[in-house]
Parts: sequence; C-alpha cells; structure tokens
Amino acid sequence: MKRVVSVSLGSTKRDHKVTVELLGEEFEIARMGTDGDFNRALELLRDLDGKVDAIGLGGIDVYLFVKEKRYAIQDGLKLMDAVKTTPVVDGSGLKNTLEREVVRILAAETGLLKKGAKVLMVSSVDRFGMAEALAEIGCAMTFGDLIFTAGIPYPIMTVEELEEIANKLLPEITKMPFHLVYPTGKKQESQDEAKVQKFAHFYHNAEVIAGDFHLIRRFMPSGMQGQIILTNTTTSDDIEFLKEKGVGTLVTTTPEYGGRSFGTNVMEAALVAILGKQWDQISAQDYLDLLHRLNFRPRVVTLQA
Amino acid sequence: MATQQEIKESLETFTENYNNNDRLKIMNRDWNRVVVVKATDVDSVHTWVLQDGVLKLKEGEADAPDLTVISDSETLADVFYGDITPIEPYNDGTLRIMGSEDDITRLDFICLMIWGE
Repeated sequence: MKRVVSVSLGSTKRDHKVTVELLGEEFEIARMGTDGDFNRALELLRDLDGKVDAIGLGGIDVYLFVKEKRYAIQDGLKLMDAVKTTPVVDGSGLKNTLEREVVRILAAETGLLKKGAKVLMVSSVDRFGMAEALAEIGCAMTFGDLIFTAGIPYPIMTVEELEEIANKLLPEITKMPFHLVYPTGKKQESQDEAKVQKFAHFYHNAEVIAGDFHLIRRFMPSGMQGQIILTNTTTSDDIEFLKEKGVGTLVTTTPEYGGRSFGTNVMEAALVAILGKQWDQISAQDYLDLLHRLNFRPRVVTLQA
Repeated sequence: MATQQEIKESLETFTENYNNNDRLKIMNRDWNRVVVVKATDVDSVHTWVLQDGVLKLKEGEADAPDLTVISDSETLADVFYGDITPIEPYNDGTLRIMGSEDDITRLDFICLMIWGE
C-alpha cells in the first residue's frame, strides 16, 4: 500500500484518512492539520520524510503561477525545504492542469458554466489556470484578490488587469508572513463578519463563486440564491454550511473520498506517487494523461431542491 | 542616517505618487485612516490623513492614529522614496507598524501598488 499524507497549516478539525484504490493499487491518503502552527508543520514534515510515498502541503501555496511567471511564497518554501527525501508538492502543478480541464468539462457537458455567466473568483492568483479558463469560455469575471486578501473593494474585471496587478504585487507579497494574506488555523473555522457584510454584494451579484474554499467560506454572506460554488476542499460540515447560506450547487474539482473532497495538494501527491517521478520532471501532459486514465471527473452536488 | 529633511521629502514624494495614481484613489475611497510616521534616531514625526481616497501629509503627531510606522531615518527614507519595499524591514523587525493586521496588510499593498506603477 502506498501512503500519501497532506500536512496542512489548517485546522485539525478537518483531519481525515481514507483508503482508496487508484489504477489497481491501494492508497492510504491522510490529511494532518496543525492549527496554523508553522513549527508543528515543520516537525511533522521532518518526521514523515522518507516514511511515506508522497507529501502534500496544505493550507499554504508554495508556487503561484501567472501565465509563464512563477512566484514562490517564502513561508511555503521553508516548509518544502524541510523535506529532503520524499516527493513534496503543493497542488499548484495539478491545479493548473486539472482546473482548466474541469472548466472545460463543465462548459461542454453541463449547463453549469455558460458564456456570459457572472463569476466571482475570491482569489485567482492561486489558480490562474482556472481564472484564464473561465475567462476564455466567455464568463463575466470579477477577480476578488484585492477585495478578500487586502480588504480593498476594487474588483478586477479582466485577466489582463489581474496579470498586471499580480506581477506588480506578488514579488513582494510572497515574502510577507503567510497568515497576513490567507486565513490559517482557527481563522478557517470562523467568518470575518465585518467583511462578510461589507462585501456581501459581490457574492449576491454572482451566479458562480469560484476559488479556494477557505476564502469562499470566510466571506460568504447569508441570503445566497442558488449560486454555484466551484472549489476543491470540502467536508460534510462545509456542505451543510453552504446549504444554510442558500447555495444551489457545489462543484468540486477533486473527487470525493469518504464523504469529502481532498485538497489539490493531496491529489497531486497521490498522482506523483503513481507516476514515481520527481515533481520537477512531471509535465502538465503527464498529469492530464493520468487524470484521463483515472477518469477524474468534477463532483457535482445539488444542495437545494 | 537620513536627515529630517530627507524623511520629509521622501514622504512628500510618496504622497505625490499616491495622489497621482487615480486607480489607487478609487481603491481607497472607503478607507479613511490616520497614519503617523516616526523616526527613532532623528526628531521627525509626520502624519498622513487619508480621506475619501486623497492623501494629505502634515508635520507633527496625531492624537489617535490608526497606524503608526516606526523605524530609523535611513529605512524610512529608503522605504518612502521607493528604494526598498517595506516587506523586508518589516520582516526583520527594522520597521515596526502598529495597528490592526488588516490595516497593516492594506498599507503594504498600497505601497507595492505605488512602486510597481
């Protein structure tokens, strides 16, 4: 049996372990949260190094891609550098492939994504592939990176402006302590009430809300009217939360195992374990071929009758 | 060490760059804040008042600032002239910013938006 572990800066409440079969081989996939404790995450990573087949880093990104440019988050690199032997990934390689594919499937095979649909991406620099794919099929985009990361109520409406601002900010923002730009640990279990109220109209005006689930959850107001959520990491509690808020449909880019969809980092770690290559030797086409062999499909859950 | 005059000129440069940036003014229409900037090694205290997106600089200290930026004169002049970004001195403790985490993050974003233009 192969073992894949995701070490996350997120809450321990979301810890989970399942056994699944992928291409005829058994995998034990586990997620271990550290409640935002960076040093605890370092300890865990050092402890797991050499003992498991692949490691995912959760609750933090290491690499952000803006078209061909790649920016490394310094706190994420510190975590990655703690692992010397086992392949370690942050999900960014898979995101760029899988999430483009999911948008293509949803547009071509379901009525969930249509040209002209109003889409709010709460954060897009962490999934630029999804942002580009949504814009390419003609969705009316609102990129909320400045709104939900910095509290600046400035919606970015085009991929071109997103790219310009990202290239301006990311070289330095990636050096900031990660907890200043992303909810880690216990913050993932609560909502930022002031911003929920202040920015509610961005959610209410959208037909589709896409992006990182912790951000979507942290700022989601009540009174949603059947909107579609396009994200990855959700638990059964998250599904209840979305139902209560009035969300209509949940689409997760990663498949469901044991009642929840794991983060992209977990799935990328599993794919790396299957491929048996070092991360930097794996191409987007390798992932795409493997996704097709595994018949990975987005999970669509109807939440309101 | 920078002089009091150099710090003042760096803050004036920053203020001018900010106010010449229409996009930044739009971004900050909702963010009315008072920011005090103090040097630790020369007698220099200034106050920015950001109101309805427009930034004004004055000498002296405000009573109840939302943010207080403290550093040595050289770092302050370097940061507000745009020779260095605030992230590195903030991370190594050379530059201290007192205020809410949200306000600190937003101030960092504004600084970076100015230098990147």
